[in-house]
Amino acid sequence: MLTVRGLEVLYGPIRAVRGVDLDVNAGEIVALIGANGAGKTTTIRAIAGLTAFRGEIAYCGRKLRPNAAERNLRAGIALVPEGRGILGRMSVGENLLMGVYCRSDRAAALADIDRMYARFPILDQRRRALASVLSGGEQQLLAIARALLSRPRLLLLDEPSLGLAPKTSDIVFDLIAALRRDGLTVLLVEQKARQTLKFADRAYLLENGRVITSGAAATLANDPRVARAFLGETSAASPAAPSPLADQPVIRPHG
Amino acid sequence: MLLQQLVNGLTLGAVYTLVALSFSLVMGLLAILNIAIGELFMLGGYLGFAVIAAHFPLAAALLIGMGGAALVALVIDKIGYEPLRQAPPITPLLSTIGFSIILQNVVTNVWGSDPLQLPSGLFDRRVHIGSVQIGVMQLVVIGVTVVLVASVALLIQKTAVGRALRAVSENREVARLLGVSADRITLFAFMLSGALAGAAGVLISLHYAAITPYIGVDTGLKAIAVMVIGGTTSVWGALIVGPLIGIAEVMTIAFGGSQMRDFVVYGLMIVTLLLRPQGLLGARSDSGQPV
Repeated sequence: MLTVRGLEVLYGPIRAVRGVDLDVNAGEIVALIGANGAGKTTTIRAIAGLTAFRGEIAYCGRKLRPNAAERNLRAGIALVPEGRGILGRMSVGENLLMGVYCRSDRAAALADIDRMYARFPILDQRRRALASVLSGGEQQLLAIARALLSRPRLLLLDEPSLGLAPKTSDIVFDLIAALRRDGLTVLLVEQKARQTLKFADRAYLLENGRVITSGAAATLANDPRVARAFLGETSAASPAAPSPLADQPVIRPHG
Repeated sequence: MLLQQLVNGLTLGAVYTLVALSFSLVMGLLAILNIAIGELFMLGGYLGFAVIAAHFPLAAALLIGMGGAALVALVIDKIGYEPLRQAPPITPLLSTIGFSIILQNVVTNVWGSDPLQLPSGLFDRRVHIGSVQIGVMQLVVIGVTVVLVASVALLIQKTAVGRALRAVSENREVARLLGVSADRITLFAFMLSGALAGAAGVLISLHYAAITPYIGVDTGLKAIAVMVIGGTTSVWGALIVGPLIGIAEVMTIAFGGSQMRDFVVYGLMIVTLLLRPQGLLGARSDSGQPV
């Protein structure tokens, strides 16, 4: 479904992504994991059409243009950005209406919004509330619901568990797994490697803008390079901060 | 006397409201001050004058004034703003100052620098309500302003385009992810802003039955003051403050002398900047620019 070859993204003189190759097949959940600054978010933003890039990104056999987010959405690629991208000055209902902005089938779109309210009753209860007053978990549900309303075939999620309590993260991860069962293809960026590798099919480990390793999620969960990537980042950034793998006994440092 | 001044103040305030709303639309969406709006107001007035002089009805004058100003606003967006979007905010501001001076020059060359006047008797019919005399044109100014402001409010709050406009205003990137063409919405905001300024120009020039190429400078600055007092991050501030400033100005002239008129308006603006920089309806800690 999605093929990325030789992807390069530059921020001024900085090469944030350096020749990334990756594939996502229909119906898969694929994770991009790696430490902060590895290039995960930049990669997913390039796929969504938010940045200029070099190299090739093809979706369903068609090459994607750089910086063409509106076009990519209409082609079937939706991104829930890091920090959720909620429109906080709009109500929950208005946020969902923005989810169908790109659709011309008005009656079907409104019916889909009703279905979304049925699927996420908390959004129905708070449909008139400003989105900014929702809890982090509710905002994430709203962001995912809004993205689904564009009827994507490929859903991109950037750090969907960021800032969420562990229990709420589990709900979000369960939702992602359920979306795959509904036939959706998911490419996500996540810091919580252990939990992600539990429900993802495959994963790519990025470091300094390059893919270090990739493979089946179960295999990668035991790959020492995964642990090293996270531990290296933690010790360099803040010795006092808890390791991203602190709750992840499955992955052990090499040696 | 007091009621008469109130009506006069509301007429003037209606025009300030339209021009301030015009400034706020661009300011709220893009966080830039389009200085050329004052000249779009003036251009609308001249176009309205030309249409009336050609013996077309008032509605045609309004449509041509709004359409002409909207088209020039389109040019300002395409040449003066869009290529400079990544530049610091001062750059497009300077660019709109350039457009402002060019527009003044164009109008001076086309219509001359002397004031134009309509023949007397064209729009000076009056109705009497008790001791208050209200010009029919005053009623038109207030009525058209109410209709335009209500239409803009409805558009922003209740339509898909309005939601897209608010989305771009709050987070341009997220709006793009939702399929909104941010460039098109920006262009739409520029044109809508131009149309409102053009309408205000037609209304005030026909109300006073006179116009000069320099009318935009004074009214534009007053409208900026209205926007600042109402809150630069809220278009709704202009709706409340516009009529109040109009009334305050007329009352100042009536009871304090015309030499005091600007003192009140700009004094209020400075007091607002000192005591409540976000304006009456502006949000204190917003990083974005709600429309």
